[in-house]
Amino acid sequence: MALQLNLLHEEILQQRQRQRDPLKIGMIVLAGCGAILFLYYAWNAYRTIEIKTRLGRITADWKKIEPEVIQAQKRSAELTNVVNTTRVLDDDIDGRFFWAPLLEKLARCVPPNAQLTSLEGHILEDEKNGGGVSLTIEGVAAAREPRSAAEDLRQMLLEQLGKAYHDVKAEFKALEDVETVANIDGSNVPMSHYILTITFNPNAKPKPVATPAPARPKRQESDESS
Amino acid sequence: MNLPNFPKLSSDQIKKVALSAMGFVFLLYVYFTFFLGPLEKSRNSALTQIDEMQKKISGSKGEIAKAATLERQAKDATTRFNALKTLTPDGAPIAWFPPRMKAFFSNQQIDKASARLEGNTSFKESDLSSWAKYNWVIELPQADFVALGKAISDLENQEPLLSITKLSMHVLFNDPQYQQVSISATTVIEKQ
Repeated sequence: MALQLNLLHEEILQQRQRQRDPLKIGMIVLAGCGAILFLYYAWNAYRTIEIKTRLGRITADWKKIEPEVIQAQKRSAELTNVVNTTRVLDDDIDGRFFWAPLLEKLARCVPPNAQLTSLEGHILEDEKNGGGVSLTIEGVAAAREPRSAAEDLRQMLLEQLGKAYHDVKAEFKALEDVETVANIDGSNVPMSHYILTITFNPNAKPKPVATPAPARPKRQESDESS
Repeated sequence: MNLPNFPKLSSDQIKKVALSAMGFVFLLYVYFTFFLGPLEKSRNSALTQIDEMQKKISGSKGEIAKAATLERQAKDATTRFNALKTLTPDGAPIAWFPPRMKAFFSNQQIDKASARLEGNTSFKESDLSSWAKYNWVIELPQADFVALGKAISDLENQEPLLSITKLSMHVLFNDPQYQQVSISATTVIEKQ
């Protein structure tokens, strides 16, 4: 085996020492970390730019449809308001009390031997909550029994108004004979003066309908035959 | 265990290594605080905005569809609403209501009708915030009962926004064929 002599061993040692220099290794590690951090930052920046581009596109889309949406929202609010207002107005219109049919009924109820001299009617304040109408009728009746003529009028009013309205009440506030006499068909008959107070409810809530009794089960043919 | 044979560092080299380490820490701080942190923040903010925008866009489609549906459904109500609005002429009600009543009763053969304003109130309902209630007293000094009944009937039918709240009739003793009538009525009128 040939003998090998290394006459440069000192230089080689120095070279190895230079290669293992901690400062140099540290600088290389630092540069590596820096490169990694830079790449990571670049990757993040790329993603952020991409997201911002997407945001820009979406914002542009929104700006395109935004006027339409605002218009639609305005129109929607306006229409809702119109519908609600119309509904409330229609409720008011439908909930009105009509006086003309009442006057017609009154005119039909008054017999030839009675006369109305005054009529006061008003809607009670709580009419909307199921209140009613109040009427005060003043007049005179003439007959051999003038009070019974007035009572006939009261009964007639109760009957006729009861056909159209609910909870009809008719009471005499005053009923008195008067000195004056009336000439009916050539004969003088005494008169009475009356004041009638009538109350009724034009819009009573319908009474609950009774539930029908459950139908009996059909008998089986065998039962029928037996 | 064999440790690598690290060469001994001189004091100058130790100072450089320590300085480098401090520089590295400072670099990391600057990197995360002034570069990566704001970038993350900006990205998160953009993502949040995208979410919001997408919600708005998807909601807006529903809004437009809802308006279109409502437009179809509210057709009758709109027609009715416009019809009710046309019942109210332009101008102050005190200017047009009394002449209108006078003309109306005159056409019904009831002369000398007069109407006066008792007052007006706003509605409590928010739906009727642009409407007001006007209270009137209509005086008919001389009216035949039959003509009056027909007139009231026509009035109630022609004026859906008018409701009679009080009716008062008294016989004229010097002319029993006629009555002296006072009608309290309320009209719903759109605010001008």
